[in-house]
Formats: sequence, structure tokens, C-alpha cells
Amino acid sequence: MRKNDFPKIERLPLRARGTANNHRFGWPDVVIFIILFLYVLAVVFPFYNAFVVSISSETAYMGSDLLLWPKDITFEAYEAVFTSKAMWNGLGITMILLVFGTAYQLFFTVITGYAMSRDKWFGKNFVMNMILVTMFFGGGLVPYYFLIKSLGLYNTIWVMIIPGAIDTFNMLLMRNYFASLPRELEESAKIDGANDIQIFLKVYLPLSLPMLATVGLFFAVGNWNSWYNGMLFIENGSLKPLQLVLREMIATISSSTESPSSTTYSENLIMASIFFTIVPMMCFYPFLQRFFVKGIVVGAIKG
Amino acid sequence: MENTLIYRRQSKWHHVGKRIAQSRFLILMIIPAVVFYFIFCYIPMYGILIAFTKYYPKLGIWGSLTEHFVGWKNFSVIFNNDPEFLNVIRNTILIGIGKILIGWVAAIVVALLINELRMRSFKKASQIIVTFPHFLSWVVIAGFIASLFSRTGVIDDIIQACGGNRVSFLADGNFFLGLVFVSDIWKEAGWSSIIYLATMAGISPELYEAADIDGATRMQKVWHITLPGIKPTAVLLLILSVGGILSAGFDQIFNLYNPLVYEQVDILDTYIYRQTFTNLVNPGVGTAIGLFKSVVSFVLVIAVDRIAKLCGERGIL
Repeated sequence: MRKNDFPKIERLPLRARGTANNHRFGWPDVVIFIILFLYVLAVVFPFYNAFVVSISSETAYMGSDLLLWPKDITFEAYEAVFTSKAMWNGLGITMILLVFGTAYQLFFTVITGYAMSRDKWFGKNFVMNMILVTMFFGGGLVPYYFLIKSLGLYNTIWVMIIPGAIDTFNMLLMRNYFASLPRELEESAKIDGANDIQIFLKVYLPLSLPMLATVGLFFAVGNWNSWYNGMLFIENGSLKPLQLVLREMIATISSSTESPSSTTYSENLIMASIFFTIVPMMCFYPFLQRFFVKGIVVGAIKG
Repeated sequence: MENTLIYRRQSKWHHVGKRIAQSRFLILMIIPAVVFYFIFCYIPMYGILIAFTKYYPKLGIWGSLTEHFVGWKNFSVIFNNDPEFLNVIRNTILIGIGKILIGWVAAIVVALLINELRMRSFKKASQIIVTFPHFLSWVVIAGFIASLFSRTGVIDDIIQACGGNRVSFLADGNFFLGLVFVSDIWKEAGWSSIIYLATMAGISPELYEAADIDGATRMQKVWHITLPGIKPTAVLLLILSVGGILSAGFDQIFNLYNPLVYEQVDILDTYIYRQTFTNLVNPGVGTAIGLFKSVVSFVLVIAVDRIAKLCGERGIL
């Protein structure tokens, strides 16, 4: 950092963030900057390391030399990933979950959130209590497992979509948002003769697009990262989502920590596969971050 | 007085049909939710009965219950102080409480640092970067960790370059336990700090201006204005997380651990999973331990809510 950068920065309108700005730019600022910079570095480093490993040759990784920058650069691992049938198949399954799963979850979560946000209607308290109980008590893994089996969802793609219909946290998020919109909208629409479904579709839904985007993105990330239901209930290799394919590769190294040579997959192949699954997110995230942030801020104002 | 009461009671039931008709569209919208919660949350609660049987999937829950009822036998692992189970409980509580407290402090520290930072552009960029790991799955993070901390990984390379000896982080339980906490901070601290940053942005600037006039130092302003400003949020979030102590993070542990470190990091959820699906112990046992976990968590939530209300904080129920 050049010294003459500092006065320039001081002129920026920083007061909006809640801290008054009449102190000179002094050593505390430098200390804060350094600590935060180290923290950011620690967050970025695993990504960088994975990238370096993914484009270095396997022998360079296995050697005991410090591998801080790529050595024996090779794109073999990426070639292997991009020609891997399992990866593309996994991506296909994940895309199905991403598109249909997200739409399905959004639909049921939003209509439930809307109904719960309206004034008293017959049975509202009963349904609310029914939902809240599930937040604090549940049957646990084993009964759930046998339920899914007896529903006939075992080893079908539906098992990764259907049980996710409503997420209670996101449902409450939608409910809070709908409840925060002016009540008068509903009243005036009612006077014009609209019924509840029309009010929902034509008045409230268009007004809640930003929140819809937030909740939709939460679901989309969840579907992109989904592996748990797949691991429990999918045996058929061609139905495994991307994260599960990746998990099975990684499991082979972490279960044989003492003898790395026995691994079936080379380290650079695994790192290239990881990049295959996270690069789409890395590309979109900077532009979508504000939607996610909105979710956590609205969610905190809980009724 | 009495008359009004009776009149109201009558009218409530008298108009039920009318009230249903009035809200018929909303009821229509809620039906899928009722069906969903009934199937995926309430039927598993009925499935708790498995805990009292020697369960045979072919017979179903009711069949197993009538033909193979075993009473509290499946709970023997809990009541008989089975050493492996006691160890699992100890790990669960240690990891659960540790993650809550460390994560809580880390989030507040990160929020304070970002809030106090004077460089706008770095402020924005750092927020985007540090919140990103929250959206990675533990599968990916386990891959990162395996690459960083394995015997051939870069961390061991660095230790060796500095003159130290190579350490097998992934095979040594105590190092592994440390990794569990560190990786949790790495993933969540940035994201959790957002809520505090939002709260800090809501603190009235007049308070800071007044403090400036009184000649307060920066540290004093943080101590006497910013921290008290986020206290209600911080306390509420801490209370909310207590119910999750026994859910010490299945995804994380399950993707990271290996048999060498079971002794230090095996937690209730991974134990239930392994007993049922790997060791093929009768499902009744896994259900019994799951029930134990649910009941204790439920009692914890109620207790914390009561204590919080007694102390004058906002409850959660």
C-alpha cells in the first residue's frame, strides 16, 4: 500500500455506516485493515490451493516440496473431469433438481407463507401450531428413512424433490414479508370484488418479487448442494446428483489418510471436480449477494 | 355478563360454516402444507414407536409393535452408561457448545472489524468474499480440508519449510477437533456477521456524534455504543442456538471424519447413522437414541426460553 493513498480515502463519505468520521486515519485503521486482510486471505487460500493442486501434476503434489504455486502445469485433470460421464450425468440430475425442485419448493412455500400472513381465518392458529411444533420436535432419522421407503420414493429422483416442499424458515420469511405490505391493498381489492386467490396473484405477488428472488435463491443453492437425501436413498449411480458424485470421490481420500497411495482418484482430479461444481456459484454470487443479505435481514425481524 | 359469554360461545360455533366459506380460498392454499407437514413430520413422530420394538420393516410399525414389543430395552445403551455412547454424548456437547460460543464471538468480531474499516471498496469486496463459503456444501469443504491438511498437503509443507515436523492432522483426534472448529468459523463467521452489521447500521449516528463531542476515543465508542447496540440481537441469537446443541453438525463431521478420529469427533447424529446403516444394528436402537436427542433438545429449548423470560429478555416461544 502506498502512503499517499490514505488522505484520498479519508475524503469518502463513510459516516453512513454508523461510525462518525472525524478521527484522522491513524494506526488503528491500519491494524483493522491488516487483520481483515489476513482473514480474507485465509478465506481465499483454500480456493487458491485447490486451484494450484488441480493444475499441478500428481507427482508435484505428492512430493514434499512446498506447493504454493502451480508446478508442472497440466490440464489433464480438467480434461478428465470434462470427459467424465459420471460428472456430466451428475450435473444433469443436479440441473433437474435446480429447475424443477426450486420451482416446486417456491410454489408451496410461497402459498403457505401467504396464507399464514393473512388475518384470522378458520383454522389458522391450528395450522400455525402444527408447523411450529415441527421446528422443535421430530421423529429423527430412522423413522424418516422407513417412511420414505414405504412411500415408494426409494431410489427415485423424487426423493430429492418431494420431501423439500416447504422449508419452515423460508416460509416464515415469506410470511413476514407479506405481512409487512400495507393491509389497505387487500381491503381495496376486496371492495373491488377480488377473492383471496386473485388478491394474492395480482396484488401481493407482483409486489414481493425481490423477496421471491431471495427465497428462490436459497432454494436454488440448497438444490445445487444437495447430497444427503441422495446418499440415503439413491443406489442407482445414474441418479446421483453432482455433490454426491463428488462426495464419493473425496471419501476415498479422507478414509485412507495414512496411505495416500491407495486412493482411486488423484488429488488434482478431485480438486478439478470441486471447481467444476463451485465455479458456477463463484460467477453468480457477487451479483446476487444482496438478495441473500436481504433474506437474513428480513428473517431476523421475526414475528 | 354471563349472558354475553354464552351468546358469544353460541355465535362462534353457529357461524363455523360461514367462516369456513369466507376463508375457503385461504384454506385451499393451506391444504398442501397441512398434507406435507402431516406426511413428512408427523408420520415420523408416529414412527417413534419403532424405539420400543425389535423392528422388522416387513411387519411395519404396528406389526413390529404387537409382535416384537421390547419395552425400554433399546434404550439400554443410554441407561447402562455404555462407554462408547457416553463418549459420543461428551463429544456432542463439547462440539455443540464450542461451535455455538466460538461462532458467536467470531461473527461479532468480524462484524466489528468490517464496521470499523474505513476503506469503502475493500469493505464491500471483503464482505462478498467472507460470506461466500456459507454457500458451499460440506462436501466441497471436506475436499478443501483433505487437500490442505493431508500428509502431502500444503499446510504440512509449510510446517516443514519452517523447520517443523509433519503432522497428520486428519488422523490425530485433537488436531481434527481443532479443524472442526476452524472450518466452521471459516464457513460461517462471515455470513453470521451480516446480521450484526445490519444492526450496527441501525444504531443512531447521533449517539456517535454526541460521543465525539464528549471526546470519546474510538475504542470507547465501540465499547459504549456499538456493543450495547447489538446486545439484544446477540443475546437473542445465542438463545436461539441453544436448542441446536445436540445437533453438532452432521454434514460437517460426516464428510470430514474417519475411523481414526471417532473417539474425539463422533457425535450423536453420526453415531445413529453408523449404527443403523453401517453396523446394521436393529433400527429400534437408532430410533431410541434419536428420540433421546429430540426430547433433550426440546427440554433445552423450553428451559432456555423460560430462563430468558425470567431475565427480562425476549423469549423465543
